[in-house]
Amino acid sequence: MVTVTINVNGERRTASVPPETTLLKLLRESFNLTGAKLGCDVGDCGACTVIVDGKLVNSCLMLAGQVDGLDVLTIEGLATTDRLHPIQKVFEEKGSLQCGFCGPGVIMSTKALLDQNPNPTLHEIRDALAGNLCRCTGYTKMIEAIQAIAREGTIERATAKSA
Amino acid sequence: MDTKTVVAEKESSLLDAEELMRAPAAAPLVTFPLEVRVTEASRQTPAVGQRAIRPDARLHGLGQTRYIDDFYLPGMLYAKIKRAGVASARIISVDTKEAEAMPGVMAVITGRDIPVNSFGPSLKDQPVLADERVFYAGDGVAAVAAVTEQIAAEALDKIKVEYEELTPVLDPLESLKLETPGVHAPSANIYGHKIIKKGDVEKGFAESYRIFEGTFRTQMVEHVPLEPHASVATWDANGRLTVYSTLGRITLGRADIARTLGIPMSRVRVVATIVGGNFGGKNEITTEPVVALLSKKTGRPVKCTFTRPEEFLSSTTRHPLIMDYKTGVTKEGRILARQIRLVLDGGAYCSWSETTLGKACILSAGPYVIDNLYAEAFVVYTNKTMTGAMRGFGAPQVCFAYESHLDDIAKALNIDPLEIRMLNALREGSLSPTGQTLHSVAVRESLMQAAQRFGWNEKSNGHGAQA
Repeated sequence: MVTVTINVNGERRTASVPPETTLLKLLRESFNLTGAKLGCDVGDCGACTVIVDGKLVNSCLMLAGQVDGLDVLTIEGLATTDRLHPIQKVFEEKGSLQCGFCGPGVIMSTKALLDQNPNPTLHEIRDALAGNLCRCTGYTKMIEAIQAIAREGTIERATAKSA
Repeated sequence: MDTKTVVAEKESSLLDAEELMRAPAAAPLVTFPLEVRVTEASRQTPAVGQRAIRPDARLHGLGQTRYIDDFYLPGMLYAKIKRAGVASARIISVDTKEAEAMPGVMAVITGRDIPVNSFGPSLKDQPVLADERVFYAGDGVAAVAAVTEQIAAEALDKIKVEYEELTPVLDPLESLKLETPGVHAPSANIYGHKIIKKGDVEKGFAESYRIFEGTFRTQMVEHVPLEPHASVATWDANGRLTVYSTLGRITLGRADIARTLGIPMSRVRVVATIVGGNFGGKNEITTEPVVALLSKKTGRPVKCTFTRPEEFLSSTTRHPLIMDYKTGVTKEGRILARQIRLVLDGGAYCSWSETTLGKACILSAGPYVIDNLYAEAFVVYTNKTMTGAMRGFGAPQVCFAYESHLDDIAKALNIDPLEIRMLNALREGSLSPTGQTLHSVAVRESLMQAAQRFGWNEKSNGHGAQA
């Protein structure tokens, strides 16, 4: 067993898990954060996408032990009691999610993109979503939603407000 | 110190005890707004023209939707299924002793433990787990329930199955021949057949200016829902079974579960969980009887989730079709007669083949006025992954064939592809291939509008037959 302490969504959490446990299993089974999904278990589908120390990762490919002492942001860490995260809000308004299984991963990829590049081109948006598979939407509504946020500059304003 | 930190610290003191129980920790601190949403669409009747927001969008976006893999029943075990890996074989023996002796393995079952080992939406030709015979590589031959998924997976390697391999039937055209050995002998390989006749094709061909022939093939397609198939079974002390499942057709599933377990339907409750993509691939039972039996044997809830490879190998797929078209036309491109033969590769089991066969055959003529038509469709068994329901039930396959065929005809006659469609398309009051009078037929208007919108005429040098 290895003891892993991570700072997940701003909370310090500790768990003792078998060494082969992935970050995804740690989040889902030890911390009951089930937003990140297991879709393929080999890093193809992106349903397990989370942000570790500001970098996008497939949590099914990362061992829990590798994350010891690091900051992890999952889909559960985006909203507050006051409001949805702007990405969640616009995805809801634009009907960007259908069955929703890929949604948490897509939203985390979108967040990582907009954090670095608040005004991405269509090509950059497509590139950012390349690691997230979706079988329902054909991606068009997701891309429209991300373009809408970029147009409105909601992310920049939100960041400025919280800073 | 904020509330979050206080609660987190309180919870962390519980962690050790929780880990000893090998159960998930207490619910995490998750925050989200709790306002009640009323959309314009739900306020107004009629809602046409109003912007609607999916009622499930909020939970999806927050990652709070509970799919089957997101909940846990106390004491739950994990099941894995051993796949045959050979396309056609006789099972000589299945030795599960070593797997059963492994620490953490709670139960092992084989095909011989299934009370009634056959099910299916129409023909009951599919075993839950193969017992005497393996009909395709994705057949399950044994299943294990263990305290962790890892132990269950390791236990599968310890199960020894001895096969007498048989020559598989893989080509649907071979399977169609009467002398080919039956996949499910003594039954014939052709298990579904349909003919649609209208007018007199021979007369139509005789009157034709030219006759065109073409063969079109489509491949097998997997639905690939992002959420794999999964089910959880649990029994109560009254002998009642509850199955949580990703299944779309729960009433049909309930009948099949009751049948295979040999218990009355009134003892089975099936709960459909929120589904992470179906597309027709979750229309029949897969692991449900297996988890039910393992749960009965162990007295604990049992869950089985398909791995991604199992999703490709052992769930249904779209029928590959071999489509022979013969069409007689006038000099101007009007279709006078059409003869079609469809061969559907059904794979190892029937599943929803009958629906697919019917729909493919009815739609195979295309949306065109054809007075003389003969369409014949066969579906045959092969030792491959079974084919079943998938978006359109055979319609996309035949659409690919009749539109490609018409393009070939247009090119040979040097007619614009749009023009040949306008000439032949169904009109108000036209008869369908099966004789119904059609109303509200807008195919010609739709084609014209589409052509206008994307500038067909300007681009006809690039797309048209004149090119």
